[in-house]
Amino acid sequence: MDKLYAPLVQLLDGTVRTPDQFTADHLSNYGRIFQWTPRFVVNPQSQKDVVALVAFCRTNKLHLTNRGSGHSQSQLAISQDGVLLEMTTMNRIGAVDAKALTVDVEPGVVWRDLTHHLKKWSLVPPVLTNNLGVTVGGTLSMAGIGVASFKYGSQGDNVVELDVVTGEGRVVTCSPERNDDLFWGAIAGLGSFGIITRARLKLRPMKAMTRTYYLLYDDLRVFLEDARSAMDSGRWDHLESWGAPCAQGTRPVGGKRQVFAKWFYPFHLTVEYDPGSPPDDKALLSGLRPYDNLYTDDCPTIDFLERMVPVFELWRKAGTWEFMHPWIECVLPWETAADCIEQVLADTPPGIQVGGHVLIWPAKGTSSRSKNFKVPEGENLVGFGLLPAVPQKFWGEMSERLENVSRMMLMFGAKRYLSGWVNFTADEWKAHFGARWNELAALKRRYDPDSILNPGFLPFEATP
Amino acid sequence: MTLPFGTDAWAAALITEINASSEYRNAAAKWGDGFNGNVLLVFEADAAIPKPHALLVELAKGACQGASFVSGASHPKAGFGLRAPFSVWRDVLSRKTLAATAILTGKMKVEGDRMTLLKHTAAHRALVSCAAALDTEFPTAG
Repeated sequence: MDKLYAPLVQLLDGTVRTPDQFTADHLSNYGRIFQWTPRFVVNPQSQKDVVALVAFCRTNKLHLTNRGSGHSQSQLAISQDGVLLEMTTMNRIGAVDAKALTVDVEPGVVWRDLTHHLKKWSLVPPVLTNNLGVTVGGTLSMAGIGVASFKYGSQGDNVVELDVVTGEGRVVTCSPERNDDLFWGAIAGLGSFGIITRARLKLRPMKAMTRTYYLLYDDLRVFLEDARSAMDSGRWDHLESWGAPCAQGTRPVGGKRQVFAKWFYPFHLTVEYDPGSPPDDKALLSGLRPYDNLYTDDCPTIDFLERMVPVFELWRKAGTWEFMHPWIECVLPWETAADCIEQVLADTPPGIQVGGHVLIWPAKGTSSRSKNFKVPEGENLVGFGLLPAVPQKFWGEMSERLENVSRMMLMFGAKRYLSGWVNFTADEWKAHFGARWNELAALKRRYDPDSILNPGFLPFEATP
Repeated sequence: MTLPFGTDAWAAALITEINASSEYRNAAAKWGDGFNGNVLLVFEADAAIPKPHALLVELAKGACQGASFVSGASHPKAGFGLRAPFSVWRDVLSRKTLAATAILTGKMKVEGDRMTLLKHTAAHRALVSCAAALDTEFPTAG
């Protein structure tokens, strides 16, 4: 038995597991690219447990990695020989302040549970991710992007206050006004400076119904222009779009025949409305130039928020949920977006749709204040991502191609979204964060002086 | 037939290969349309070749008008350049390394407007693929 097991169990109200009790989920994250084995997995009961665990790790020179639902794909939410802190047991939803439009939650709360909890007040977080099965602490540590981000920024932009247990074991309450360096360090901070133990989230009123227009485009540039006009029109509550391939047979690519596709661009525009006051379809759609207007869907807003559940269920049933997920997501400057997307999609086989997805989202460069969520300069931006599910046996040939996609995105001026598969060199990390990198290194020295938190991804050790 | 690299016969075979390639014709249909699409491939000296080689390939709208080994590491007719040590080229032409990887990692340097090159990545890949399709006798070390 590990000599630290007994003192650790004695210290905590929560549970402690040793390797003989681990499940496969403890050894990897959603990326399934890395297989790391922690020394312990801890499920805390409260902030008190987290404080005690940080002190224990410092004393015993153990690394401490926190995770929510483990949806990241690089060296995040996994631990080699350290302590993996599974925050999903800290999942209490606190008081809703219907006047101030806020709610206090613990970091292990799953967004789906929160949206259902808030339904009786007709309130909702302004931004929700497509996958509602992830945790508040996890997405706040990443940024958290959704189909309303063009209006409200990231989920991290909609936080009023946080409690953070720093790498020194101190509990610090922080907000944009108070201890703001730690607050903006924690938001999209990849868990590098502290462990979020409470978040006070902004809410907004939610209308009961949504109407979604399913438009289809066959021309990327026309679609992007319409997407920009939709963002600027003020008519829409949610905008969602992606690339959809139509296989065209095979053609030679680099000496081998490869299936290729003609790409189409579904664009779903959604407006919330009160029952009895349906929207004016003609007015809403005026000026848009789709190739086809396929369908108009009315559904309760709470169901709209869960619209991706059947897709994820299908991925699970088909087995692709267990494949590798080296997702390559980025935010592109408006000016280069169409060229970059066309180049990447020309080489993307339609099979990417099997358990995967191609995201193309219009975004605003002015909607986020987050210091760590890096996006290119400019008022209008485009989120773009290849989200493949890759069987292990194809990893060798796929990894080089996906790395090239990432490099090409960077050459077109993109910033990578960091929840996906990111294989940056130390110099690429510095280029990604720009002037912010030295600030992050200073935050690390200040709030995690022993560098116990979340090692293996951001290369702070490479900074002199 | 195996052709020695760096000879007029090799350059002539490349012209034939490019103009017979449906991959190149489609991928490069807009390459050189409104701009100078001639590319100078510079094979820098290293352990395998004591002297550099430079191949000027004249390209426009999915077709090759000419290819010849020229002297010097630059040429007034070239609109773009791809430059790398010979060993890198050999790996690319032997399909051991993707040309895109060599370019995107900086092992192969590009000269000319980078954005134009980025917008036509499939054209460059097809060009390199045509060169790789030739049965080539590469120089060996020493």
